[in-house]
Amino acid sequence: MARVTITVNGKPETTDIKPRTLLVEFLRDHLGLTGTHVGCDTTQCGCCIVLVDGRSVNSCTMLAVQANGASVTTIEGLAEGDKLHPMQAAFREHHALQCGFCTPGMVMSALELVQRNNSPSDGDIRYWLLGNMCRCTGYHNIIKAIKAGAEAMARAR
Amino acid sequence: MNDFNYHEPRTLAEAAAMIHAARDGSLIAGGMSLIPALKQRRAKPSDLIDLRFIGELTGIRRQADAIVIGAMTRHADVADSKLVTDAIPTLARLVGEMADPAVRNRATIGGSIAHGDPAADYPPALVALGATIITSTRAMQADDFFTGAFATALRKGEIITAVSFPIPERAAYVKFANTSSRYAIVGVFVAKRGTDVRVAVTGAQPCVFRIREMEMALAKSFSPDALKPITIRPNGLNADIHATPEYRAHLIGVMAQRAVASAAALHRPN
Amino acid sequence: MNELDANRFHEIGRSALRKEDFRLLTGKGRFGDDFNMPGQAWTVMVRSPHPHARIVRIGTNQARAMPGVLAVFTGADCLADGLGPIPHNPVPSTQYDMKLTGPGGGAVFVDPHMLLPADKARYVGEAVAMVVAQTREQAEDAADAVRVEYEVLPWLERSEDALAGGAAAVWDEAPDNILVDTFFGDQEGTDRAFAAADHVVRMEFHIGRIMPLPLEPRAGLARYDEHTGRYTLYFSTGGPGIVRQRRQFAAALNIAPEQLRLVAYDTGGNFGAKNRPYVEHGLALWASRKLGRPIKYRATRHESMLTEYQGRDLLTRVELALRSDGRFLAMRAENIMNVGAHCVSLSPLAKGAGLITGAYDIPAARLRSRAVFTNTTPNNVMRSSGRPEVTFAIERLIDTAATELGFDRIELRRKNLIRPDQMPYTNAVGSIYDSGTYEANMALCMRIADWEGFESRRRQAAARGKLLGLGLANYVESSTGSPKERAEITVTPQGRVEVVIGTQPSGQGHETSFAQVVADLLAVPLDSVDIIMGDTDIVKEGGGSHSGRSMRHAATVILMAADDLITKGKTIAAAILATTPDAVEFQDGRFGAQQVNRTFDFLELAKEAAARAPAYPPANALAVVKDNEMHTSVYPNGCGVCEVEIDPDTGRVHLTRYAAVDDVGRCINPMTVDGQTHGSIAHGVGEALCEQICLDRESGSPLTESFMEYGMPSSTTMPFFTTEIVEVLSPTNPLGIKSGSEGATAGAPAVVISGIIDALKEFGLRDIAMPATPLAVWQAIETAKAKLRSNERPAPAAKTVAVEAVGKGE
Repeated sequence: MARVTITVNGKPETTDIKPRTLLVEFLRDHLGLTGTHVGCDTTQCGCCIVLVDGRSVNSCTMLAVQANGASVTTIEGLAEGDKLHPMQAAFREHHALQCGFCTPGMVMSALELVQRNNSPSDGDIRYWLLGNMCRCTGYHNIIKAIKAGAEAMARAR
Repeated sequence: MNDFNYHEPRTLAEAAAMIHAARDGSLIAGGMSLIPALKQRRAKPSDLIDLRFIGELTGIRRQADAIVIGAMTRHADVADSKLVTDAIPTLARLVGEMADPAVRNRATIGGSIAHGDPAADYPPALVALGATIITSTRAMQADDFFTGAFATALRKGEIITAVSFPIPERAAYVKFANTSSRYAIVGVFVAKRGTDVRVAVTGAQPCVFRIREMEMALAKSFSPDALKPITIRPNGLNADIHATPEYRAHLIGVMAQRAVASAAALHRPN
Repeated sequence: MNELDANRFHEIGRSALRKEDFRLLTGKGRFGDDFNMPGQAWTVMVRSPHPHARIVRIGTNQARAMPGVLAVFTGADCLADGLGPIPHNPVPSTQYDMKLTGPGGGAVFVDPHMLLPADKARYVGEAVAMVVAQTREQAEDAADAVRVEYEVLPWLERSEDALAGGAAAVWDEAPDNILVDTFFGDQEGTDRAFAAADHVVRMEFHIGRIMPLPLEPRAGLARYDEHTGRYTLYFSTGGPGIVRQRRQFAAALNIAPEQLRLVAYDTGGNFGAKNRPYVEHGLALWASRKLGRPIKYRATRHESMLTEYQGRDLLTRVELALRSDGRFLAMRAENIMNVGAHCVSLSPLAKGAGLITGAYDIPAARLRSRAVFTNTTPNNVMRSSGRPEVTFAIERLIDTAATELGFDRIELRRKNLIRPDQMPYTNAVGSIYDSGTYEANMALCMRIADWEGFESRRRQAAARGKLLGLGLANYVESSTGSPKERAEITVTPQGRVEVVIGTQPSGQGHETSFAQVVADLLAVPLDSVDIIMGDTDIVKEGGGSHSGRSMRHAATVILMAADDLITKGKTIAAAILATTPDAVEFQDGRFGAQQVNRTFDFLELAKEAAARAPAYPPANALAVVKDNEMHTSVYPNGCGVCEVEIDPDTGRVHLTRYAAVDDVGRCINPMTVDGQTHGSIAHGVGEALCEQICLDRESGSPLTESFMEYGMPSSTTMPFFTTEIVEVLSPTNPLGIKSGSEGATAGAPAVVISGIIDALKEFGLRDIAMPATPLAVWQAIETAKAKLRSNERPAPAAKTVAVEAVGKGE
């Protein structure tokens, strides 16, 4: 067993886990944070993306022990009570989710994009989302939402 | 995935000792190839030795006419590096187009080249740029490093510490990607340094390879037209559901010409 | 029924933001893998590596002895416990479905789909044993240790091979592997028309096998409560929904439906994949009783690519007879569906059969529909089941006729499109199209696509060395679905309007769009309406969500229930206002009577009634249950136009523009309908450009077993879409609803391939198979070039140096 301390959504969590525990398993099974989803086994679909020390990471392809000491943000950590984060609000306003399964990974991935580039073009967004699959929306509204979310986040600063 | 012991060495010596002490140990860098293999139960190591705390494996620096990249440098950091972007922009671009952003945040140059995927993008860059792979025990030329599909010249316990890229005058990489996997169906890296021209191809054979005839033609005249008389035979080229050997042979020619056009058209070197 | 006054609609027709979004955006969705219980065990399946093999013996001792293993079960154990097959009821049997029959007109042989087979494995990946262990890892380790002895048999992959005869029978009861053979249409009239025709155009297509591939692989938690003797399955699903699937699982488990509760809340995409029961859920339910533990099952993506029910795979041979002026006279078609190893649904074949003539006035047609077994993963409904295939066939046939006979493809269509004054139109195989303005749709789509501007874009592309093509196709598709639906509406004293309905969404936004309908009919705020679905303890009746049925059935039965509720409300208001029910009016959303000052809206009425209980009618009296049954189909329809840019040196196709016009009947929420159109287009584009299932010809193993090989459309595959919703109200239901979730998929493959053929005009290509991957396009160009070269005088041999590119250091 390995002892890990990972700060998840601002709260330090210390547990003993088997080293083979994936970060996504730590989040879903140990902490009950089921908002992060598993959609594939080849690290391609992006449904499991969370932020580790501010960088988007496929939590299905990272061991929890590799995140020891790090700060992890999941989809559950964005809204403040009833108030959605501007990126979440943009997804809602632009109907950028249908079944919602890819959505947490999309939102978390978009957050890193905006952090690196606060006014991404449509092309920038499409290129950034190559690691996020969606089967419902055809991506059209997701691109619009991320653009609007970036603008809202810039205004809020 | 099976149970394994997990280790976090702080020095190269510690890591090497752990590898030798383990019954069946694996080094883990970014984990982007290893962890899927563990999940699919293709690999069942007794011990995992994590390289992320070893300081000498990190960093990008300029050393005379070369850019030296530490083995644990993440793809995202290579792509974002001003040093790399200024000195070898083609390399920064190539790395910035590998896989996708989340994978690039974790995958490393050392892990990538040690894995030796025949369709990966780093191998043709190393071979065409004439890179040197520095390990815990020696230094090797890229030409000698990649030996086959998922096979390299690394010995057991030998740990890559850095890769040194000589800065070319001109370079370009054109990849025809499999849009499902994002790997190259065919990728051609062309680099010129004085009279030395190298053309390295990935995705077309079990291992990265150079095309001497193209190199010789380009050494005489560095232009796409110089490549037009050269056709590639399909013999020995990979066949899969995405491309026949004939298609790959054709794509090698097209991608090589486009790479040369791109390299030749640049207003400033490389 | 109260008169519907569309002018009074505030919610219907509005792009209301979705109620379900908050929980989905904050990680509070409840998908199939999100359910957990203390003490739960895990199950993993042992799967056949062979496409066809007799199960000789299964050695389980080694596996049983491994750490954490609770049990290993086989098909023999299922039989011993009296488990039965899953009753898929694959033959569509609503009133207006095309009636498929077995060869010679008899019943269709439907194979027994046992939870675990005892006799043979019939496709690679078929589960032949199950392991249950404390942890998933332990179950996987033990599954590896189960020793199955197989006698490998010859196997069958393709419909063509099944029809050729002589292949080993997948099922002994169907020795030639043909389970459906039915003729439709008018043989004599068609033959006469063909004999008299000036032109006949023939084409053959094998529309390949692809997969719905929702991003959520199937998963569930099964639990047996020994105190109540009831089973519960927490999972995610769609399609016919939980009411029907409960009956199906109960039958397989040999229990009464009342003993089983199905719970499904959020479903991560469906597109048909979750429409039919999976053996793993049935096995988990059974094992949870035998072992006294809750049992979890989760498919890996690899397992899903191997065993999730698949789609399409139609071999179709079509002929069109034309008069010299371009008028269509008759059509012949032979459609063969590859059902795979188990007949799970024949809906694609039946639906397609009804629509072979597409949007065109073709007076006579003759169709032969067949279905064959092969040793492949079972084939099932998949978004727009059956319609993309037949739309592809007729639209490609028309394009080819235009090219070969010298007609303009648009003029040829205009000449033959069914006109609005012909509606309702009975087509040559008996389908009754209810309404539609086909030519106007096409004109609108061409306008929003900037059809006129294409030539200039083509020249610009040519200057860059690229070939630009313009594609167009019309579609008409059918929405039928399970005929029964029930709505239970309760207005509570707490100010909620609770609506229980039996549909099963997987992203369509029903919680919002249905609430919009309720809000307008009862004049209550949208926020006060709760749409309740997904639990058979609450939902007693209903048909689920498939075939685009949901809004049409739900809105109709909600409308009827609302009428009853208004009547009830009048009774309750009358008691409160001390008058008689016929003196009470429901006007502008309020109950009131002449000479009485007080009025109530529904929420106030419920509260008031509860406050006066028990003197007045009981607190929950403001509640109704309404059942409805509708058999009549509706026919959504539309048009798609695209532009594709091809790099002739590599064959890479880039979709640069896509415009779609869709007649959905009355549109409840334009925002969600547009979203459905986008996703619908994407599915069809994927089929046309990149999706395919490939099997190794020797072993039968899939070569496309992960997203590394299977071409999922990505964020860079498609452009932004230009869409328009057309509302030609259907006369078949009071709100005039058709459907908006599958139509664009029906047209898209034809639209895209039409564009590719247009781009490659100079090569004289007649056809290209889907998916039009870069390899396929390049090969088509090379073949065409070789043909053109052979027609010319040979050029002097180019001086080339052949290089053998072998290894390094050469």
